[in-house]
Amino acid sequence: MTSLAAERRAAAAAPGQAEAGAPQAPVLVSVENLRIRFPPWNAPLKVVEDVSYQVRSGETMGIVGESGSGKTLSSLAILNLLPPPARITGGRILFEGEDLAAKSQAQMQKLRGRRLAMIFQNPGYSLNPLLTVGAQLAEILKIHEKLPRAAALQRVEELFRLVGITDPGSRLSQYPHEMSGGMKQRVCIARALLCNPALVLADEPTTALDVTIQAQILDLLEELKQRLGMSMIFVTHDMGVVARIADRITVMYAGQVCETGDKQAVFARPSHPYTQALLASTPRIDKSYAVDPQGRRERLPTVGLAATPGQSLGGGCRFAGRCPEAMPECSRLVPQAAAIEPGRVVHCLKRGSAGVPGHG
Amino acid sequence: MTDQTLASHVPAPKPAAKPARGIWRQGWQRFARSRTGMLGLALVLLVVATALIGPFLAPFDPQDQSPMLDPGAKAPPSWTHPLGTDRMGYDVLSRLIYGAPTALAVGLGAMAIASLIGVLVGGFAGYRGGTTDEVLMRFTDFFLVVPMFVVILAVVRLLGVAIVNTPFESVPYLNLGVIILLIGVFSWAPIARMTRAEFLRLKHQEFVEAARCIGATSGDILFRHILPNALPSLIVIIALGIGGAVLAEAMIGFLGFGDPAAVSWGQLLYFNYEALKVAPWASLSPGLAIFVTVLGFNLLADGLTDAFNPRAKA
Amino acid sequence: MRVFVFLARRMIFAIVLMLGVSAAIFFLINAIGNPIELMMAETPGMTGEVIERMKGYYGLDQPPFTRYLLWLGRLIHLDFGTSIVYNQPVGSLILTWGWQTLKIQLPAILIALAIAVLFGVTAARRQHSRSDFAVMGTALLGQSLPAFFLGILLIFLFSYTLDWLPSYGAYSTRNPLWGSPTLDALWHMILPIAMLTFFNTATLTLLMRSNMVDVLKSDFIAAMRASGIPERRVIYVHALRAAFIPMLTYLGLLVGLMLGTAPVTESVFTWPGLGSLYVAAIHQLDYPVIMGASAVIAFMLICTTLLTDVIYVLIDPRISLE
Repeated sequence: MTSLAAERRAAAAAPGQAEAGAPQAPVLVSVENLRIRFPPWNAPLKVVEDVSYQVRSGETMGIVGESGSGKTLSSLAILNLLPPPARITGGRILFEGEDLAAKSQAQMQKLRGRRLAMIFQNPGYSLNPLLTVGAQLAEILKIHEKLPRAAALQRVEELFRLVGITDPGSRLSQYPHEMSGGMKQRVCIARALLCNPALVLADEPTTALDVTIQAQILDLLEELKQRLGMSMIFVTHDMGVVARIADRITVMYAGQVCETGDKQAVFARPSHPYTQALLASTPRIDKSYAVDPQGRRERLPTVGLAATPGQSLGGGCRFAGRCPEAMPECSRLVPQAAAIEPGRVVHCLKRGSAGVPGHG
Repeated sequence: MTDQTLASHVPAPKPAAKPARGIWRQGWQRFARSRTGMLGLALVLLVVATALIGPFLAPFDPQDQSPMLDPGAKAPPSWTHPLGTDRMGYDVLSRLIYGAPTALAVGLGAMAIASLIGVLVGGFAGYRGGTTDEVLMRFTDFFLVVPMFVVILAVVRLLGVAIVNTPFESVPYLNLGVIILLIGVFSWAPIARMTRAEFLRLKHQEFVEAARCIGATSGDILFRHILPNALPSLIVIIALGIGGAVLAEAMIGFLGFGDPAAVSWGQLLYFNYEALKVAPWASLSPGLAIFVTVLGFNLLADGLTDAFNPRAKA
Repeated sequence: MRVFVFLARRMIFAIVLMLGVSAAIFFLINAIGNPIELMMAETPGMTGEVIERMKGYYGLDQPPFTRYLLWLGRLIHLDFGTSIVYNQPVGSLILTWGWQTLKIQLPAILIALAIAVLFGVTAARRQHSRSDFAVMGTALLGQSLPAFFLGILLIFLFSYTLDWLPSYGAYSTRNPLWGSPTLDALWHMILPIAMLTFFNTATLTLLMRSNMVDVLKSDFIAAMRASGIPERRVIYVHALRAAFIPMLTYLGLLVGLMLGTAPVTESVFTWPGLGSLYVAAIHQLDYPVIMGASAVIAFMLICTTLLTDVIYVLIDPRISLE
């Protein structure tokens, strides 16, 4: 949490830097107006509604949101690994010139693991408990690059070394249950990097780990980012984590994008009321909370109580029920993207977005 | 540490409109929505009804062999004998009806015994833990391994022989009672296992700790807190067990070891199986009756699983 | 090395269990009454010579525990005594009739396993579809259908009504099918195996389907898909293996169940197997056969449990050998 405060101070002190930053790398993946629905199909649950963001080459996009914000589903959609019965019902996912949303499972299978890779949340569950870690990873190499067993195992060992697994040779014949949580996650990271993917999706990779291990894994990811120039989509609910690892941030709420922008800019000048509330509700170590004349402490700001579950709202902005700045039009009109700075986009009527009437 | 899998991203079903009113009421509402469960309940009620009022409506006395004279043994179904007559001249329908109370007596009686032993053993093992648990579990394993059927046959027969010329011989339905007892004694093991598992799970829950904090005695905790919470799972196993007990008795009767004084479907099969070719109605009817009863209890158990533990089934 | 220690421990436990069961069998049967006196009550006309011979053989003038040890001692030498009814060594009787039982039980289990895996996997893949409900419904029905009633139905349909298959026995007494004894034997095996298979398949399919559904939801399957492993391999190699392992314990139970209900199945088809031998022996109070057959059945069950445990440990790396 301290890093978050430090970042904000640094960003606040140098506002001009938000627009500079890395020279514009090419766009690697562009999610456009993504829609994901759940049955029943006559009255579907719109879990992801009109979500758009872009990730450039070499950049880490942090997707932040609470549970149910649709952040995991929208990243799973890139790999077309939505848990059934969910379906992509609209939008495009452009990657290397093709629309991934339009591809069949068989076509996606060729891309997965090779050009696109994923790190799951719970390393204990995402490794096959019946196979040694060496065998599991070697199998992937055998399938994608047709390597014979010995060569595959050697490559796995190299990757183990890369991700900081001690004594990599002997680890190859170990089973997942014989490893610690941090070690297992390193194996999962190694698995993602096996075929040098263009894009790595990380779905809350540190949430299931101890805080100290969390820090180690984040260090590792940052190091790999620098060394390999990895492009990453990092999904998390933890503002502190995203402050550390992301270059750009997309904030989501209840299946809609609230705002997108460079990390420094978003932290220094949060635009969307939800982002503002989130950042304000973080306890600050550098702030002393006042005591009023009756001896009561100032309360920690919170995000307002939800009026109704987001998905069953009328069809406008889904944050309207909890928004301290809500206007009557907010629950009727869906806020479109509004550029408030170069590279920053916000979806809020109050901040200048145009509104489109939403359907229920 | 969160425990989410991809599957957890499937949104939870919308909450029910009515407020929750205790697990029994909730359970019943869920049960009513289960088609298998309701069908099972219907079948079971059918059997129960037959057992309770059937004997008053049965056209013939089950021991009445007069149809032997007219229309004769092994006669096909007719108006006077809707299910025909069997090999020894009895009216099949009447005997079928009188078989229902026997079946229920066996099912419920055996399971009552099995539940008593099973809950005591399993509950004690689960609650105490440690060496008590180990010892009791080995004991239970023994009963799980032993083939109930094989042993019961031997014991029933030998007992039957042993009481010849003794005062026991005149006790009515002794044979049936022994069968019920034995089935119960060999069926308690799965119940003990389930009870133990539930007790182990529940005794670490916070409400037990809370109860202890306010000074509840061990007995209190066991009977008023833990046991009621273990009941839903137990009921399912017991329902399955009733079906199993009825089936066991049917098989015992089919092999000829049943109680000659009692009318049981298995025995009907035993008497009439030889005549399967010429008088199929006499064998197929009791067989069907057994099937319907066992199916009823199995479906009931299925519905109960739906009601109390919807996540237990895929 | 650890494997051997584990095996040794399990085997010792199995032997202890065997001793316990044999003692139970012996004392149970003898506690109900002195066998000779009981037989006298049941079968009048037993000559004094037979009684004397049996008394000597069983050492009935000695305390029960000594008798138990005598019997156990003979048992270990595979001397089960002589059948009173058939006047043959019990051991050879058990072998001949036991073989008939195996002839129908083993194929039934194997076929059932194959079908269960096939249908279970398919149903799990198409969860909540119509084919899934069809499979589940049939399996549920099959579980509730009393095995022997199904047997009766099968005989009625295929034998009496259609006259395609024989209705009883393992061999035709005259005119073997198409002149070949082997074919004749096989022809007789069809119905019993069909019945046993149906019953086994129902339970196994439900279990397989349930396991498979759970496995398919797990993260490591999703992770394998995310790594680009072809769907066919994900399901039929990895998911299947994970789902199959819990079935092994159930297989052990199933064998026990099959052996336990063998008397009934064999009675329905008048099949000359161990179960029929046992039932006949009980009816006729043929004690050596009763005790010998019980001991053999118990032994087979204990061996099955032991085998299942061992296989389980060897296959699932998560189970530690303690």
